[in-house]
Amino acid sequence: MSQSAIRLWMGLGFGAMAIYMPNLVTLPYFMHLIILALVWVILAQGQNLMQGLVGYVSITQAGFMGVGAYFSTLLTLKLGCSVWLTIFMTPFFTGLLSVLVGYPSLRVKGHYFAIVTLAYNMVIFTILLTFSSVTGGEAGISNIARPSSFSLWGYVIDFEGRSNSNYYLLVLLLAALSTGICGFILHSRVGRVFLAIRQNEVLADAIGIQSWRYKLFAFVMSAALAGLAGALYAHYIGFLNPEPFGVDQSLNAILAVILGGSGTLTGPVVGAFAVTFLPEYLRIADSYRLVTYGFILVIATIFLPRGLVPVAKDLYLFLISLLPKRK
Amino acid sequence: MIEIFQQSLNGLAIGAVYVLIALGLTVVFGILGIAHFAHGSVAMFGGYLTFLVMEKFGIPFFTAMGIAMVGGAALGLVIERLAYHPVQDAPHINAFIIALGLTMMMEGMNLLMFGADQVVIQTPYRGVFHIAGIAVAELRLIVILTACVLVGAITLLIAKTKTGKSIRAVAQNRQAAILMGVNVSMVSLVVFAISSALGVAAGALIGALLAIAPGVGEGLAVKGFAVLILGGLGSIPGAIAGGLILGVSEAMAAGFISSAYKDVIAFLVMILVLLFRPEGLLGKR
Repeated sequence: MSQSAIRLWMGLGFGAMAIYMPNLVTLPYFMHLIILALVWVILAQGQNLMQGLVGYVSITQAGFMGVGAYFSTLLTLKLGCSVWLTIFMTPFFTGLLSVLVGYPSLRVKGHYFAIVTLAYNMVIFTILLTFSSVTGGEAGISNIARPSSFSLWGYVIDFEGRSNSNYYLLVLLLAALSTGICGFILHSRVGRVFLAIRQNEVLADAIGIQSWRYKLFAFVMSAALAGLAGALYAHYIGFLNPEPFGVDQSLNAILAVILGGSGTLTGPVVGAFAVTFLPEYLRIADSYRLVTYGFILVIATIFLPRGLVPVAKDLYLFLISLLPKRK
Repeated sequence: MIEIFQQSLNGLAIGAVYVLIALGLTVVFGILGIAHFAHGSVAMFGGYLTFLVMEKFGIPFFTAMGIAMVGGAALGLVIERLAYHPVQDAPHINAFIIALGLTMMMEGMNLLMFGADQVVIQTPYRGVFHIAGIAVAELRLIVILTACVLVGAITLLIAKTKTGKSIRAVAQNRQAAILMGVNVSMVSLVVFAISSALGVAAGALIGALLAIAPGVGEGLAVKGFAVLILGGLGSIPGAIAGGLILGVSEAMAAGFISSAYKDVIAFLVMILVLLFRPEGLLGKR
C-alpha cells in the first residue's frame, strides 16, 4: 500500500471510531472531557495558523474565544435569536473584530506582536469583568440554551443534557471541518506563503508578497475559529463568566500547539487533548499545577521543540525502516 | 487645576516603578533579543521577599530591599543559565515560549512560597506635606527618589564601566563583540543579574506603594512592554519617558474617567503609538 492509501485508511478508521465513541465511553465525565477537548481542537487549530504556520505567537486566543462565547450567548438571551444562527454568526463577528485589532498590531514583529495581542486579551478580560450590566461580570450568565432540537428522517435529534452524544457529534463535525479548512490552507498557495513568512519575512516582502495581507488573513481565520470554539463552549457548559477567557487559557492554547507539534495538522489535535486531559491527572497535585505546567512548557521547548507528532512520526518511520524490505 | 497636579504627582510615583520594570526589560531585549516576560513575576517575587525579610529579621525597608535585590540577581543568573541559555541559537519564538513557561512557574512558586494573600509592605514613610494646596505623600517622593538613584546608577554603569562597555558592544553587534574578545556568555549573565535586581526593586516599591498579590506580575510585565513600545525598543531614555507618560496617563484616567478602566489605558496608548509611530516616541526609524 502506498503512503497516501495508508493515511486514507487510518483517517477513515479514526473517523469511524470517533463517531462510534459515545457508545464506547460509559463514563459521562469522560465524555464531557472529550467534548471540551474537541472544542479545544478548534481553538488550537486557530492558534496553529498564526503560531505554527506564520510564526507569530498570538496570546489572545482565549480572549477571542470569550468574545465568541459572550456574543453568541447575548444574542440568544437578549435578542432571542436561534442558537443555530448565533453559532453560525459568531465566527464572522470575531473575524471582523480581529481585522480591527489585527491591523495595527501586525505592524510590529515577533515578540512585540505577542505582547500586543496579550494586551488585547487583558482588555477583553477587563471589559468582560467590569461591563457587568451586559456581561454579568464575575457572577456571570447562567441558563444558556443549547441548540434547539430538530427531526431528521423521523428521528428527533436533541441536544439537552450533560455529555450529550448529539452535541458531541456536532462538535466533532465542526472540529473536523476546522481541521479540514486548516489542512486546505496548509496545502494551498496561501499556506506556502505563510511558511515563507515564517522563514524569512523580509525576503517574502522582497519578492513581491504583501506579507501583511497574509498575516492578517491568518489572524482573522484564527480569531474566527476561536470564536466558534467559544460559542460551542458557551452553549455546551450553559454558564459563562470571564474566568476561562483569561491570559492563562491563551497560554494553554500555545502549549497545546507546542506540545502537539506546531505547523502540523494533527499536532494541535493531539495537543488539545493533552491540555484537556493533563490537568485532570495533575489535579492530585493541584497547588503544584501551575509550576508543573510551566515546567512542562519550558522542558518541551528546550528538548522537544518540534512537538509530539513530528517525533512520533520520525519514530514510526524509523521502525518501518527496521522492517525487512520486500524485494 | 490642583486635581490635575495631584494626579500627575501620583502618576509620577507609579510611573517611576514602570521605568524600573521597563529598564530591566529593555537591557535584556537589547542584549539577548529576548522578551523576558517572566520579569513581572520576578518583580513580584522580589516584593514578597522584601516583605518576608522585613518581617523575619525586623530590619528597615531599604536594607531588606537590598537583600532581596541580591536574591533577585541570583535568581536572574539561574533563569539565564537554565532556561534561556539552552535556546539561544533556536528561533526567537522558542525563547518567548520559554518566557511564558517561566512566568507560569514563577507565579506558581510565588503562590506556593508566599500564599495567595495580598501583601502590603509597611514603611515608616507615612508623612504628608502640603505644598501649594497639593498633598504630597512622603512615600511617593521616596519611591520617585529611589527610582532616580537606581536609574542613575544603571546609566553610569552602562556608560562608564568596562562591563558597561561590553554590554553596549554586544547590544550593537553581537558577532563583532565576540570577535573583539568580549565574553558574550558572561555579559548575558551580568545583564540578567542587573535586570532582575532592578525588577526586584520595582516589586518592593510596588509592595510599599500599592500591594502585591498573585497575578499582579503579569500585568506589570505587560505594562513594562507597553512602556518599551511607547518609548522605542532598546532605548533607555525612551523607557524613562515612556514609563512616566504611562504612569501619569493612568493616574489621570483613574482620577477623571474610571478606575475600573485604568489598566485599559496602557493598552490604548500602546495601540495608538503602534498605529501612528510604530518605532516609538524616542525610537529611531
